[in-house]
Amino acid sequence: MNIDHHSGLSFTEAGGPQIAIKEVTPTTVTFVLSNTDLSVANALRRVMIAEVPTIAIDLVDFELNTTVLADEFIAHRLGLIPIISHQAVHLNYRHECTCSPYCEECSVLFSLDVSCQSENAMSVYSTHLVSSSPAVQPYVDPANEKGVLIAKLRKGQQLHVKAIARKGTGKEHAKWAPCTGVAFEYDPHNKLRHTTYWHEEDARKEWPLSAKAVEEPAPRDDEPFDYKAKPERFYFTVESTGALPPTTIVTQALDVLMRKLAEVHRVLGGIAEAQGEPVVQPTYNL
Amino acid sequence: MSNAPAIHEIYLLPDGVDKVVETKSTKIPNASTFHLEKEDHTLGNLLRAELLRNPKVLFAGYKMPHPLDHSVDLKLQTTADTSPLTVLQEDVNSLMRELGLIKKRFENEMTLHNMQSSDPNGMPYTVDRAYS
Repeated sequence: MNIDHHSGLSFTEAGGPQIAIKEVTPTTVTFVLSNTDLSVANALRRVMIAEVPTIAIDLVDFELNTTVLADEFIAHRLGLIPIISHQAVHLNYRHECTCSPYCEECSVLFSLDVSCQSENAMSVYSTHLVSSSPAVQPYVDPANEKGVLIAKLRKGQQLHVKAIARKGTGKEHAKWAPCTGVAFEYDPHNKLRHTTYWHEEDARKEWPLSAKAVEEPAPRDDEPFDYKAKPERFYFTVESTGALPPTTIVTQALDVLMRKLAEVHRVLGGIAEAQGEPVVQPTYNL
Repeated sequence: MSNAPAIHEIYLLPDGVDKVVETKSTKIPNASTFHLEKEDHTLGNLLRAELLRNPKVLFAGYKMPHPLDHSVDLKLQTTADTSPLTVLQEDVNSLMRELGLIKKRFENEMTLHNMQSSDPNGMPYTVDRAYS
């Protein structure tokens, strides 16, 4: 890294970490993060998966369920439905709220009341859910306008539930994770030897190169191993469940990580003051 | 399931518990252990790697003492001209600047990308369109 972070100098315009966005679609963003450390890239990856808050159904009251599916089975399926979570920033976590058991500051109410009248089986989709807040709706993929299938009903069967959606993070339950996956890759030619390829005869013949291999020069056959080399370019693809736009996941993850560090910095400053040691003033703003 | 730990123990700092506690080493000069409550490898590895790049740091390492304790112990020894507490504050500071820069550059790239991928009608393509 070419950052002299101990000289007290701030980053110059040209130096420091670089970002190059390759592709943006409604559910994915592909970008390259370069000139930074593996630990920074990995922290970003971990936070995107586990600590960006979204909204998901967390508590389900069954008024009536005469379907063939068990209550807890349906409750689990409801929990996994992606819900558009722009409002998550304005919502309290359950533990931040003094209400009991829930209020509109910390939850969104969904109701589902369906019954099958016809001879044919009826499919219940996430679009049948009725939200108490117009801004908080189940995410519907443009290619699949009915939404997620929840259950199928035969004639005379009924399903009537009240579902409470809450704010949470993927750390607590994967249903709150905003990403279906984060593709994370570095060093496509394995110059750093962070991995070993299992092979029968020749690893190079048996393992196809990754699509990212064209981005970096291939090593020469006689190139000696550079034991001081460090990974510098990180290839990310963030795929969203639909709860948040993929680019929002990235920026919110950076915010979450910065808030964590700011909290540690604040507490360290308090300890330093109490012990009469120098307090380092923050040189950033959130 | 009656003895299952409550799920909020992963992220919720209980009342009266400090986020960070510094324990100075009684045996090694200029060395401390910082106990970070409700944190994991995300912050532990990030801080350790940043500290190791600092020439004033003689030793930096971290561990999660137990899989059911959601805390991190960060061990740090520095040169005599400074203290672990000062060095940790400086390095948290520089990490914040780095992440701030990543965020700024990501947002700049997004603006640029939106302009480049405008459709023929001159409407900028935005990912938010699917959400409107």
